[in-house]
Amino acid sequence: MSTHQHTITALVQNEAGTINRLVSLFRRRGFSLASFNAGDCEDPGFSRLTFIVNGDDAVVSQCLKQLNKLIDVVECEDLVSEQSVQRELALIRVEPTEEQRQSVYNIVNEFMARTPRSTLTSIVVEQVSDVSNLERLIAALTPYNITEIVRTGTVAMKVEAQA
Amino acid sequence: MNRSGAKIVMEALVREGVDTIFGYPGGVVLPLYDEMLNWPQVRHVLVRHEQCAAHMADGYARATGKVGVCLATSGPGATNLVTGIATAIMDGIPMVAITGNVNSWAIGKDAFQETDIQGITIPITKHNYLVTDINELPQVLAEAFYLANTGRKGPVLVDIPKDVFTAMTEAEFPTTIHRRGYTVAGAPPQDQIDEAVRLITEAKRPVMIAGAGVLHSGAMDELRKFAETTNIPVINSLLGLGSFPRDHELSIGMMGMHGEAAGTLAVQEADLVLGVGIRFDDRLTGNTNGFAPKAKIVHFDLDPSEIGKTVSPVAFVLGDLKLSLEAVNKLVQPTERPEWTAQVRKWQDTYPLVVPEGRFLSRTVLQGLNNHTDGQAIVATDVGQHQMWTAQFYKMKKPRSFLSSGGLGTMGYGFPAAMGAKFARPDEEVWAVVGDGGFQMTLQELQTAVEYNCNVKICLLNNGFLGMVRQWQELFYDNRHSHVAMGSPDFGKLADAYGVQFFRCSRLEDLEATLAGASAHDGPVLCEFVVEMEENVFPMVGPGASNSSLVMDPDLEPSEAAHHVGAFETTHAGVKQ
Repeated sequence: MSTHQHTITALVQNEAGTINRLVSLFRRRGFSLASFNAGDCEDPGFSRLTFIVNGDDAVVSQCLKQLNKLIDVVECEDLVSEQSVQRELALIRVEPTEEQRQSVYNIVNEFMARTPRSTLTSIVVEQVSDVSNLERLIAALTPYNITEIVRTGTVAMKVEAQA
Repeated sequence: MNRSGAKIVMEALVREGVDTIFGYPGGVVLPLYDEMLNWPQVRHVLVRHEQCAAHMADGYARATGKVGVCLATSGPGATNLVTGIATAIMDGIPMVAITGNVNSWAIGKDAFQETDIQGITIPITKHNYLVTDINELPQVLAEAFYLANTGRKGPVLVDIPKDVFTAMTEAEFPTTIHRRGYTVAGAPPQDQIDEAVRLITEAKRPVMIAGAGVLHSGAMDELRKFAETTNIPVINSLLGLGSFPRDHELSIGMMGMHGEAAGTLAVQEADLVLGVGIRFDDRLTGNTNGFAPKAKIVHFDLDPSEIGKTVSPVAFVLGDLKLSLEAVNKLVQPTERPEWTAQVRKWQDTYPLVVPEGRFLSRTVLQGLNNHTDGQAIVATDVGQHQMWTAQFYKMKKPRSFLSSGGLGTMGYGFPAAMGAKFARPDEEVWAVVGDGGFQMTLQELQTAVEYNCNVKICLLNNGFLGMVRQWQELFYDNRHSHVAMGSPDFGKLADAYGVQFFRCSRLEDLEATLAGASAHDGPVLCEFVVEMEENVFPMVGPGASNSSLVMDPDLEPSEAAHHVGAFETTHAGVKQ
């Protein structure tokens, strides 16, 4: 079986130690965690998490079962990409030369990104998109002296498949 | 009613029917120990090391099926529980561990005797709690007991800061427990039953491996009915021993690295292997690529994460085992399979477990213990050679009478676990079978046994070695002994110092009298059996090897072993790694 990236979302009851317990599971069972994101959700006292996991189907199936076994986990699911919306937010600081600044803005416009903060020497580029778009943006900005990147990791939501 | 956190803990114990707890006091649990004096209905056993409080709670739980409770103070008290908690999670033992912690406002400040026991025990508990709000304490304690003893059982730790023991609340215990996302396995889906029954009906050479899940679920009667209806031979995993009568004609003993040859051969030749309440661990399957090569596997269990974890079953039945087997029993037809059962019996006759005559071996003693107790006693073991020999030669007649650390493999477990079992079931004869290595890890509990007149009998097999490690060094490291010779104190003087009755026996002629003398004494007894130093456990499947490369006991006649082996690589020479 081939290794793929899987997007797992989980609804968890939030108590002392919950996040520690979830992440500890990946470490101790050797599941490969590419990113994870946690935040409040529609239920007070609960959080929704998104994990990006590398592994073949057997590994991901075992990962889901082990997650489900944790008492904090209310439900979890391996999302199929066609039936989910997946987004990541990135902040990318570039420090271009004066001659390069317009090129950076051109790229920002092309990718429909935003620039929430610019100074004389640096531009902070903000992008919310799927991961492949984000990585193309980063590649495009690379010649212009990227000095810092901050990414949230993917968040995902299950949706009906498009007709 | 407004009452303290300490009082709520005691209320919780009484509500849960806990009659005995095992613990050790210290600074932050003083409010609880003070409150405890008002609750004579809960017996507190003062141990000499917190690890043994956890092992005693474990032994108490294994012998009864009830939740075992242990208690320790913060810091080193809590960390000393860790080995006992890890032992319990590996074998699915219901346990509630209560620890004190420093005052809630001091947590995170590296206060005296502060440790993050919640963080430390996350990977070794079914669930754990740090209670910083007194109002949540009744709910948390009720949940802890519920989680520990439902579904796949396991230890739950509740960490309580000192100020929560003294804070007051009117919060009540919940009348029902509900946690979103936590469901307890019930009856399995009918289509899974139907498919399993279809495979069972088709099979010509089926075997069953019955594990600890049968004991946890209390499915012993259903298992027996199933086996007898279908004439399917039953092998036990180490921890499944006791779930099926060993003197039953369908019993083929234990399976695994040191399982009986007939069981291993039956699984390798079978066309259907039913795993019932087992987790197909590596000590049982050997190299999974060579496990049951001709068989379809059907897995009965209540834990979805066990399905497909190490082997790939063609079908599974997910649910409480008692209900699963009940459902199967409604559908299976009486089946005779004379050829297959005769074949299995032939393997049993060809490859019996042997005890060489005219020598004084660990096996000699354990066979003697089996004869002496008629398999009626509760026996707890440590880990190593004596554990395997006990599993091979002790033919327990009753469930919940073989207590052993199968998963974690904890040396030092046997003696305190036996004590826990004795506290729980005082009318049963209880033996701890230990080696000279393991016993020296927890023998300080002799004092506890004396103080409570805990009437356990210790069968100490002294061969002057860490025997199993020495066996592996002999077989896999050119017999180069590296730090396996084990000196011991004079156990007779030690027993005297503790005030424990002592017998030493080094001759076959004295064996029965020694065992009888131990049983007759009203109080703890230490029996030291000085056995031959170098004795190996067979049969054996080398670590990482396939079960097909089973190595027979060299004490068996080679000509016998050449029989019936067929395609097996079964040898008498070396163990393949």
